[in-house]
Amino acid sequence: MLLELKDVTSFYGKTPILQNIDVGVEDGHCLAVLGRNGVGKTTLVRTIMGLTTRMTGEMHIAGEEVTNSQTHERSAAGVGYIPQGRGILPKFTVKENILLGTFARADNQRSIPDMCLELFPYLAENLDKRAGTLSGGQQQQLAIARALATDPKILLLDEPTEGIQPNIVQEIEATILRLNKEVGLTLVLTEQHIRVARELSHAFVIMDNGRIAERGVIGELTDEIVDKYLTL
Amino acid sequence: MSVHDFWTPFALEPFINALIIGLSLASIWLVAALGLTIIYGTMGVINMAHGEFIMLGAYITWILQYFLGFPWLLCLPISFVVVGFIGWLVERGLIRHLYERPLDTLLATWGVSLVFIQSIRLIFGGEPQYIDTPEWLKSVIEIGFVYIPSIRIFIFGLALGLVGLTWLLLYKSNFGVQVRAVMQNREMAASFGINSSKVYGLTFAYGAGLAGISGAMFSGLKTIFPDMGLGYVVEAFLVVVTGGGELFGSLATAGIMGEMFSIFSYFTNDTFARFVLFVLIVIFLRFRPQGIFTPSMARR
Repeated sequence: MLLELKDVTSFYGKTPILQNIDVGVEDGHCLAVLGRNGVGKTTLVRTIMGLTTRMTGEMHIAGEEVTNSQTHERSAAGVGYIPQGRGILPKFTVKENILLGTFARADNQRSIPDMCLELFPYLAENLDKRAGTLSGGQQQQLAIARALATDPKILLLDEPTEGIQPNIVQEIEATILRLNKEVGLTLVLTEQHIRVARELSHAFVIMDNGRIAERGVIGELTDEIVDKYLTL
Repeated sequence: MSVHDFWTPFALEPFINALIIGLSLASIWLVAALGLTIIYGTMGVINMAHGEFIMLGAYITWILQYFLGFPWLLCLPISFVVVGFIGWLVERGLIRHLYERPLDTLLATWGVSLVFIQSIRLIFGGEPQYIDTPEWLKSVIEIGFVYIPSIRIFIFGLALGLVGLTWLLLYKSNFGVQVRAVMQNREMAASFGINSSKVYGLTFAYGAGLAGISGAMFSGLKTIFPDMGLGYVVEAFLVVVTGGGELFGSLATAGIMGEMFSIFSYFTNDTFARFVLFVLIVIFLRFRPQGIFTPSMARR
């Protein structure tokens, strides 16, 4: 297991938002985290990053125990984070945003990895543009490039296709698939679109009310389960 | 009082002298405001103890000179380091527990300022102290009809030097990238390996250090006493707020305020000039509460 959560309960303030979560992702696999709005998908991702008030239980990233680690230590342990809403720093240029990722690198290298420029030619041509002026799809590319600049072992993608034009969704999907299949990155992907999850993932968990309701390999994600937990 | 007592008519030579005094005042206000700008602009913390960091810088200079015989110039960098360290302790021990509660920060830093003032008064007494500056800083430089004390030129130069240094640190160094990232989005900065808590501590220390070195500089100009911080901090706050908490905002605002004050007081007197300046700032902030350069209304 490259990422493993054992009996994790996560709090905002004093309120437990997630309870008794057990999740693991195999090296090189993609785990889809599914569920309706407000069931705790984003909180799960934020818990992995250490962005909730506190957590109990046990968590490992690439064999390293990070239960009590702060956010910056978790990112240095090998997690690249692509947050919901993308979290681009609007006053920074495209270049500065990508370089921001390099602060999590173990090798202290402060340059843009070639892979980022090769995957996203638009960014390569607009390195000095203010990130705040980019479109939603371009910002999503930038968020992925920034996460790749951390030299991650795992990518956390929180609703990467949300709020993006349909023609760009295909492109982002293809990029994610390539990162998993060709580059060999382990992925945790929260999704509302079942089609996207089925195409990209090896395994799934379905969340409901802050707990994990169902889990399995992606072939076991039957229409019956989809109807029960995911149809509005 | 007749109008002539109140109003000085225009005459070129004294007016040019007044403009130069304005520049000197501007550099003093700028130096006093610089540390506050960094702390408010990057961390959003209104540091009520800023004046007392200035006072501590002056006292450290005095202690080094009076007890250990250090030359004044050497005291400047030492004051920077020592007050910076005190600032770091204050941030670690107190302020970092209060980031989510801005009003409490205000109160807590005010408390810190009282502790500093009373401690200094207890240890060294309330009477004013004096610093000896090198001979070459005591001279007055004479260019035609213009007379400038050389220490004021020195402070002017040092002020620009400190602005330059701060600019390099914020915009050209790795630490600056981290500071500006934390400033825009603390969670995102942390998510990409930046230890935001450490960045805050060092930023506060740097701002306090700037206050310390400014106190050391002012000690060469004026007397030192436990309440001296108050005399600088009002103008410093006005510079920071009018400048929008940005480095170049403070630079421009200090320049404009210094010159306006000096011109008004040339035509009238100091008290009236201060009154006019404060009224103008209030009117300005009524229409541009975000400060001089900041484009949007976005405020912390």
